[in-house]
Amino acid sequence: MKRLSMAAAHDFILKKAQADRVDAEILATEERKLTLESFELELSQITQATQGGLGIRVVSGGKTGYASTEEVTEEALDWVYTEAKENAELQSETGGFLPAGQNLGYKDLLSEGLSAPIEEKADAALELEKNLRSDKRMQQVAINRYAETETQVSLSSTQGAKGGYRNGYSALMASFIMREGDSLKQAFDFQLEKDFHVLEPGKTALDMIERVGRQLGASNLKTGRYTAYFEPKAFAQILGLVIYMLSAKSVMEGKSRLADKLGKQVASSLVNLIDDPDLKDGKANQPFDSEGTPTTRIALVENGILKSFFHNSHTAKHLGQANTGHAQRSYKATLGISNTNFFLEPGQGLKPQNGIIITDLMGVHAGANPISGDFSLQAFGLKVNAEATEPVENFVISGNLLDLLTKISGLGDTLEWNPFSGMIGSPMVEVQDLSFAGS
Amino acid sequence: MIDPAIAETVLKIPDNYGADFAELYIERWRKRFIRNINREVKEATSNIELGAALRLFYGHEVVYAYTNDLSEEALTELAETLAKLKGDKGKVDAQGRGGLDFRKESHQNLHAPKLPFDSHDKKYRLERLYEIDTAARLSPDIKQVEAGYLEWEQDVLVANTEGIWAEDRRVRSRAVAQVIASNASDTQTGSSAPGLSMGLELFERFSPASIGKKAAEQALTNLSAKKAPAGPMPVVIGNAFGGVIFHEALGHLLETTSVAKKASVLSDLLGEKVASDTVTYIDDGTIKHGWGSSEFDDEGMKTESTTLIENGVLKSYMVDKLGAMKTGYRATGSGRRQNYTYAPTSRMRNTFIAPGTTPKEDLFKDISYGLYAKDMGGGQVKPGSGEYNFAVKEGYIIRNGEIQEAVRGAMLIGKGPESIKKITAVSDDLDVGPGMCGSLSGSIPVEVGQPHLLVSEIIVGGEA
Repeated sequence: MKRLSMAAAHDFILKKAQADRVDAEILATEERKLTLESFELELSQITQATQGGLGIRVVSGGKTGYASTEEVTEEALDWVYTEAKENAELQSETGGFLPAGQNLGYKDLLSEGLSAPIEEKADAALELEKNLRSDKRMQQVAINRYAETETQVSLSSTQGAKGGYRNGYSALMASFIMREGDSLKQAFDFQLEKDFHVLEPGKTALDMIERVGRQLGASNLKTGRYTAYFEPKAFAQILGLVIYMLSAKSVMEGKSRLADKLGKQVASSLVNLIDDPDLKDGKANQPFDSEGTPTTRIALVENGILKSFFHNSHTAKHLGQANTGHAQRSYKATLGISNTNFFLEPGQGLKPQNGIIITDLMGVHAGANPISGDFSLQAFGLKVNAEATEPVENFVISGNLLDLLTKISGLGDTLEWNPFSGMIGSPMVEVQDLSFAGS
Repeated sequence: MIDPAIAETVLKIPDNYGADFAELYIERWRKRFIRNINREVKEATSNIELGAALRLFYGHEVVYAYTNDLSEEALTELAETLAKLKGDKGKVDAQGRGGLDFRKESHQNLHAPKLPFDSHDKKYRLERLYEIDTAARLSPDIKQVEAGYLEWEQDVLVANTEGIWAEDRRVRSRAVAQVIASNASDTQTGSSAPGLSMGLELFERFSPASIGKKAAEQALTNLSAKKAPAGPMPVVIGNAFGGVIFHEALGHLLETTSVAKKASVLSDLLGEKVASDTVTYIDDGTIKHGWGSSEFDDEGMKTESTTLIENGVLKSYMVDKLGAMKTGYRATGSGRRQNYTYAPTSRMRNTFIAPGTTPKEDLFKDISYGLYAKDMGGGQVKPGSGEYNFAVKEGYIIRNGEIQEAVRGAMLIGKGPESIKKITAVSDDLDVGPGMCGSLSGSIPVEVGQPHLLVSEIIVGGEA
């Protein structure tokens, strides 16, 4: 059967739902990707792709069901619509609803940022690899890649929501191994920009080498309690866990230990946590969330006091709080919550004196439990004192996230972004008396 | 899923433009997922995923493209755009080449479900989830029970210019229980998530009650547990999902994806002693109904059982098509990908440490102070440095040869090549568990496994 356009697919579902007197919402995404990989200074893999699909959410008699498809034919849309209604029937709760919609217009957040000949993009990848290989401690560059993605999002509902936007990014990424004597260190690192022309392969390579090279020759760390100085990208990984606790969906599902802490001190008074969907040069800007609620800047924690959770329409109504416009779903998924540009506001500045600078964390998905807040995380770092700074390895930091937040005793003055889990920004963070398990 | 004549037309385009090899991969998935909390359906969804991917080789250079549009026009256009991306160099006269003459092989239903997707309605699934919930209510401290059921049917076709035409149907089901236990001072979790390549008969292999009870017991154990100790010590690692440590510390280092680029610390070591004598390590894609089993890999090659390490000696890597071309090693049916959006790379299937001869009790008897890591969570590895970590979900102190109080929050870390030399004894109670493994070609189902075994020293990251 013939593949329909996304616009035709929106109409097809809306008409069906209106005829059935069922509330329905359609979220569609169409994505274009290009990646260029080089190995040993030759182009080794080119990927060109398009992918698109649509997901529907139906509410019938207060019950909610979902379904999605990448096969955009009338036959597949019929299946998806029927499945979504059937899935809704499984619920016994009847509090489901679709939010009132509005005309959201169309916004282009990308403009001409990705327009350049493919040869120039290939050259950027080759330039990155060449610069990485110029360091004599470089053992191997296993992955070296230029990648870009352009995304078109469209939303419509029987409640009158209608809108779309286009976004995208370009990035340089590499996975490489450095050696000095018997000491081996590997990293996966990347630089992400909205605009291809802003990428600087030479500088990015130097930054990547600097971050890994300083770990070579590391010695084991002695078990003990030390002052920790988290570098921004490492602390951003910790903040990823805090987002889970700040999600009203976690609260509603009994999975957040911050549930009853609104208006209370939950972190050191130095801590201000902000989410800004309209940040200058923000990589995760978006005009409206996945159910069409216009987005806006919010403070989640102010001077250590919990001010708000991240909400979608469903959690806001259920908990009787304001909808913050943080609904998130891909077309394949059910309604969730996510941040946009989320960051810990920088402070007065910080100079590591005596303790361990934590440069990277590994296995955060496995070593931290965002429900209990407990974490035990493999870390890499630099031991610093009045005499010297030297690399240390083979150790684990552990504690509880809520304790960690209250023990923050200093903040750096420069914000850096980590694009690994949404966009999360942080300055350097000092935490006194943290547990380090080593040799 | 597609007419062979169309596949031939599409594959001939790059062939005519001078590609050394062209492969068409087409798949269609039907997935369903239900998630309950405290007996209420919180989310129920159904998905169709459909796509086609075209992969071309020019020497060792790979060109890859994918689309959701499977019409002949769209696929032809994709092939032309891709072939032209490489320019006209090496263009061969279309008349000079013969037809593709596909050697058709269909799956033999080795892992076919007894109770497929449509054999029961959704209510039937809900009732099983209620049974998980009921069985998990072991104490007033059990505050919340989440029960979910995930199932999918994946139809796959791989056709290439070497005449491969392989069709496979992969059906997988997984039940997930996550339990939260709290008392006045603390909140802890426990989970259980069995999955196999089968249909609803999963609940015959693992009764809903056993799934709920296991997760609840683990949550209660963790609620009463003390914080794990810190420092290097002997560790007995439990069977089944305990195998995740060697999935991370060893398995990933044996994939040609890293090995071919000499980006693994275990590159170029075939025939060498890399582990202690007690270690035999196998990756088997043929285990009946194994979570990581399939009849063909994602490059259309029949899967097999590959002995990677035998009595400590490295015998084989896991080799995909490109890896075989680059290294000269025999391909092992290990080319896998999450879906059409990823080019395949060498990946694990069902990977386990073979049973040894030491009685399980004997692993503990000489340990004056150590850790029993009974159940494991996930972990991560850097193949180029061998550095790995993995989390203990349920752990106990071993004191004077006895398993004693429960401890929580232990993270085991080390360097793979050093840790595998410290496996000093392997028991005979092999069991396996399912996991999702994330790597270059996406997130794929794999089984990990092992008998109980003793590692003479690992750094335990607990509270100092």
